[in-house]
Amino acid sequence: MKNAIGREIPERIGDRALAPFAGAFATTHAGPKAARHQKTAPRVDDKLLPSIDAAIEACGLSDGMTISFHHSFRDGDRLINQVLDACASRGIKDLRLFPTALFPVHEPVIGHIENGTVSRIEGSMNGPVGAFVSQGGKLAEPAVLRSHGARWRAVEAGNVEIDVAFIAAPQADRYGNANGIRGKTPCGTISFCAVDAQYARKTVLVTNDLAPYPVHPMEIQQGWADVVVEVDEIGDPGSIVSGTLQLTKSPTRLRIARLTAEAVKASGCLVDGFSFQGGAGGISLAVTKFLGDEMERAGIVGSFGMGGGTKLLVDLLHRGLIRTILEGQAFDLDAIASLREDAGHVLIDPGFYANYDSRGCATYMLDAAFLGATEVDLDFNVNVNTHSDGLLLHGIGGHQDVAAGAAMTMITVPTLRGRIPVIVDQVTTVTTPGEVVDVIVTERGIAVNPRRDDLKERFAAAGLPVRPLEDLRHEAEKQVRPIARPVFGDEVVALIEWRDGTVIDAVRKAEGWT
Amino acid sequence: MEILCGSEAKGDCLVAAETVDAPRTEISTKSEQLLMPGLRSVVDETRAALGVENVSLRVADLGALDYVVAARIETAVRALNPDASPIAPAVERKRSQRDRPRRSRLYAPGNNPRLLAGIDIHGADCVLLDLEDSVPPAEKAAARILVKHLLAAVPFPDEVWVRINPLDAGGIDDLEDVLRGCPNGICLPKAESAEDVGLLDRELARIEDDLGLPVGSTWIMPIVETAPGVFGCEAIATAGERVVMIAFGAEDYTRDIGARRTRESLLFARSTIVAACAAAGIQASDTVFADLDDMAGLAEEAAHARDLGFNGKGAINPRQLDAIHRAFSPTADELAHARRVVEAAAEAEAAGSGAVALDGKMIDKPVLDRARRLITYGERLAGGGDAA
Repeated sequence: MKNAIGREIPERIGDRALAPFAGAFATTHAGPKAARHQKTAPRVDDKLLPSIDAAIEACGLSDGMTISFHHSFRDGDRLINQVLDACASRGIKDLRLFPTALFPVHEPVIGHIENGTVSRIEGSMNGPVGAFVSQGGKLAEPAVLRSHGARWRAVEAGNVEIDVAFIAAPQADRYGNANGIRGKTPCGTISFCAVDAQYARKTVLVTNDLAPYPVHPMEIQQGWADVVVEVDEIGDPGSIVSGTLQLTKSPTRLRIARLTAEAVKASGCLVDGFSFQGGAGGISLAVTKFLGDEMERAGIVGSFGMGGGTKLLVDLLHRGLIRTILEGQAFDLDAIASLREDAGHVLIDPGFYANYDSRGCATYMLDAAFLGATEVDLDFNVNVNTHSDGLLLHGIGGHQDVAAGAAMTMITVPTLRGRIPVIVDQVTTVTTPGEVVDVIVTERGIAVNPRRDDLKERFAAAGLPVRPLEDLRHEAEKQVRPIARPVFGDEVVALIEWRDGTVIDAVRKAEGWT
Repeated sequence: MEILCGSEAKGDCLVAAETVDAPRTEISTKSEQLLMPGLRSVVDETRAALGVENVSLRVADLGALDYVVAARIETAVRALNPDASPIAPAVERKRSQRDRPRRSRLYAPGNNPRLLAGIDIHGADCVLLDLEDSVPPAEKAAARILVKHLLAAVPFPDEVWVRINPLDAGGIDDLEDVLRGCPNGICLPKAESAEDVGLLDRELARIEDDLGLPVGSTWIMPIVETAPGVFGCEAIATAGERVVMIAFGAEDYTRDIGARRTRESLLFARSTIVAACAAAGIQASDTVFADLDDMAGLAEEAAHARDLGFNGKGAINPRQLDAIHRAFSPTADELAHARRVVEAAAEAEAAGSGAVALDGKMIDKPVLDRARRLITYGERLAGGGDAA
């Protein structure tokens, strides 16, 4: 069947009937959510077990179950591979893997798919596992990708029932309180999986720093945790800092960042109380810097910056240019230090910032957001999941949540990456619909969604280079011959869910080339 | 013998050419299925345009744009076979006006595809593709061919110039290639006399004629950067119809005269250049400012140059353009005042009064002329340079 933006999606996957995307805010849900598992508090002060293997046994983990993880260590995570190895040694089969995200470090997951330990994945896949899944025929069912907020919603709604949540905890006590900002190897917030801890049949904290009771802040609480395990290694915080956290020196990218900052100013929202979402990536970081300098010049104090916490965002807090950082994820070690030390730096979880089925989302309070993309199309649809060759190489992150929430959503992209055009007729995969994308900023000019003539007028009045998206595409395509396009077969390898649980697109197996 | 050209840097490609009996073409790139059809058509067309047989080509692509691929192949093939005819790409470029605003001239190294990509987007009044100081001797041929292909492929919104090597050190070879890309003008380094400019003028005329371009269509910007150059300014500025601006090069100049770079040590040269240009009715452009991180210093130096009478200044990075454009653009107040001067003069003329006054100050003819020039200049900037 076709959904509201014309993408062909399957009617069912296994015994699950799929709901087609109907519009960014088209569905409403009411009534009770899924029930949490009832537990009676143990009158022991020690939930410690000697090993991951012992925890697996104690939780009764067996064939076909669902296990979940968070990704706060990003490419430095050491837990997922340990747990899967232990499951494989016990001969457990057909697990459904439900991580918030996988990274290149999780390449061994491929081996566990091949040996039958893992047969389904619901979660973002960055790198080799995504590429492997794209080839089709590898998993028992298509993978399911959700945004941070959508994943939280899916657990609360009972769409995904977790059997065992394994939570890498940089600091934990023996009774099951834990956080990610203290300990020997802090990784920032671990609240990504606070919902897992509450809804899972069993919750296991895995720590490399067992500290005296009570550990605080209590991102994960004693009332949610069944088992605590101490191991040598859970993750390498050095790896949460990636190359994308360097301020760019590229003149092209700096120009995009400067145009973005000027557009924010021209939009009229850069006044006292201004709020914005900055992410990682060279362009976003540079925009954050330029906006901070502009706020300082104009004597403006912002209400909050949302992260992806980075040194640059922390600098704005320290300079008094924003009052608060709402932080769902740390992108460098400066952000983690600031979480411990700065009263204005607040840990938040995806339920707070982006849950569609809740009574409020922090993203809805954003004045402006600047986000990246692998492709954008003439309908302003954005793809962050697949590359132009059809391979599934990235997760959704908070892209949908922030784009849907911010009053002005700006996509900052170069018109070309090497020989590959970024502005295309139709994106390979729709992650975020054009309905919630207001502005596309490129080095060759700024394209404004026809729904936002108000912004177009303001940008033009400020002398900014407002251009039709089609012209920008045409200019880039003059520099390179057309690329080939993948031809997709019928087999669906992954579903892209929208924030409300409907399906916005299906990723199909690439079977040839035009 | 195998000839190599290009590099394995991002945005470039490495081409190996070899004379063989059974020629082959091998292409490699990062995303083969996606990029191969496009790359193959560029390679095949370039090979056909060069009209060479018996040459094997290996092209290793690292995200090079079409014009980079074509340039690297042409360079390798011509190095292998000096008789191969240079490619003459189709170019559409309008001639620019002689006295258009030239507040900034943005330098870009002529053999670095990564830094050349998107050099047209930054809003520089003049982009200056460099074949001289920023290009190592071994890369001169590659650079002039790359610049030719870039000139043909990229529609510059404002002016694009090429700085060639000195005429006795490769400059004429530079011209033979780059004029096929129809730049708006040629920068002549180390200009010292009218004869230097005259020699370039004659070479330009010869090549323009050969290529079927209108003779006289290429402007000249002599760069004065030696002591003899400073003393020769007056002759250089009047050395022909093609000369529209003189640029000052302080680094070479201070070395030549044995000075440290200070405002005082440069003042004589700067003022001499400005006076010579003013006498000849052409523009003068100040030297570049080397410290990329010192924006305050740049703004100060640009304001100083503006005060001395310069019309523009060189930039070594797009980041410097804002400060330079600010310094050399009339402010809103200046424009408003100029309009009031012109209005007051018009009213006085209508009233048949010989003397014109505004706010109690006499307005004589030089003041009025200056106000009119300022208004015209402001309109041109607002209209994007070449607008009448």
